[in-house]
Amino acid sequence: MKAHDWFVEHRVEYATRILDGDDIATFEAHLVNCEDCRREVSRIETELAWLPMSLPPATPRPGLRRHIIQHVLEDSRTTGRRWLLPAAAVAASILLALGGWAAGRQRAQALENEVTALQARTAALEDTLSVMRRGRILQTSVAVGGRRGGLVIFADETTHRWSVVVHGLPPAPPGTGYQFWFICADGMVRGSAILAGAGGSTMFTTGMPETGGAVLGAALTMEPLGAATGPPRGKELAHLML
Amino acid sequence: MLKRESSGSRARPEPSEPGRRVGLVAEREASIRQRLIARDEQALVELVELATPWLLSVAQAMLQDRDEAEEVVMHTFRIVWENITPDAGGTAGLMPYLLRVARHRAIDRLRGQRRRERKVAAAALEWGLQSIAPVEPDEAGHPGWQVHAQVHAAFEALPAEQRTAVQLAYFEGFTQSEIAARLGIPLGTVKTRQRLAFARLRTALSGLKDWVL
Repeated sequence: MKAHDWFVEHRVEYATRILDGDDIATFEAHLVNCEDCRREVSRIETELAWLPMSLPPATPRPGLRRHIIQHVLEDSRTTGRRWLLPAAAVAASILLALGGWAAGRQRAQALENEVTALQARTAALEDTLSVMRRGRILQTSVAVGGRRGGLVIFADETTHRWSVVVHGLPPAPPGTGYQFWFICADGMVRGSAILAGAGGSTMFTTGMPETGGAVLGAALTMEPLGAATGPPRGKELAHLML
Repeated sequence: MLKRESSGSRARPEPSEPGRRVGLVAEREASIRQRLIARDEQALVELVELATPWLLSVAQAMLQDRDEAEEVVMHTFRIVWENITPDAGGTAGLMPYLLRVARHRAIDRLRGQRRRERKVAAAALEWGLQSIAPVEPDEAGHPGWQVHAQVHAAFEALPAEQRTAVQLAYFEGFTQSEIAARLGIPLGTVKTRQRLAFARLRTALSGLKDWVL
């Protein structure tokens, strides 16, 4: 059994995870019952939160970002399906065992979760709508592979944010991806990659780039997956000038 | 790792209209967070675009293995995508939360796979603060560079012996006992150097709140 002084002395080591493994487990057990240490560890974590950015950024391998996105989304969908049946079975057992009282309580919890998710979605939509309401509308058509879609920008000059809608595009050919660009006074500045081709439109809200000077317009290109940095290398599909 | 000679030796992107930028930072972070909670896949795309170079850098430095580092980064985004809450990361914000998750996953991997012994043995043969150097990309293409410059300057301002003690523990995952053995100094000295260093860093970094998200 360690005295409280030991935990006080090792708060920084725990918060930065440089304690040895056994001591980490000891510290975590202590935290369960020590509000002072929990609060102080949280404060240290916040103060040192940026320290990992002392390292310069690493350049991801070509295609890594898209691989991550696809993997995370696919895994999320698969996990949801995989757990659906067991979860339903467990829920049914609980309902049978505990009767109507438990059913009511579980239903209330589920509804509460739904409300939380809907509130978050509503807030996100309100944020997007606020940009759209104030925004100046710029639009152009985009033709890819015989299909005709469009690029629409709601440019909010008050908050300097844009809501960007890309619609009607087919999935990008293998080895390529859609890429949004800012046309700036000093050249093209890379914006967000576009997930398109799921059958519906894609929409995102973005701030102005920190580099490149004044923003003069925007462009949409189809880039080879290896081109994660630098200027556009692929085919320009559309551009809009302010 | 930490190859740059000094924080002022490279051209920096000029901050454009700082007052405006700070406001946009908070708005954009709130927007991304809300949209992640609402399962907006494009928000995930934006986050991956912005954060991957920084997360990869941390994971690579710790694991010394690019494939494993990429797995850690992927796992980090999966955790965030599946568990994001309105208060994830507390007051520090979304990016520090991501950095912390990535670093903790890398540490788990280091310790869980007992790679420590292999790494110590290899390091004994080749002493020095060598590691896979993150490729320095085009600065202008990486939002967050200004934060990096400030944090790096704070780190470089530490006395050399304190910097080494923190670097080996925090960025390369060595335990205090291993560091003591490696540097040939008492364990207590390692602890003292680290505590002094972290105290300085806490002071230097506590006011840093700005980021590109």
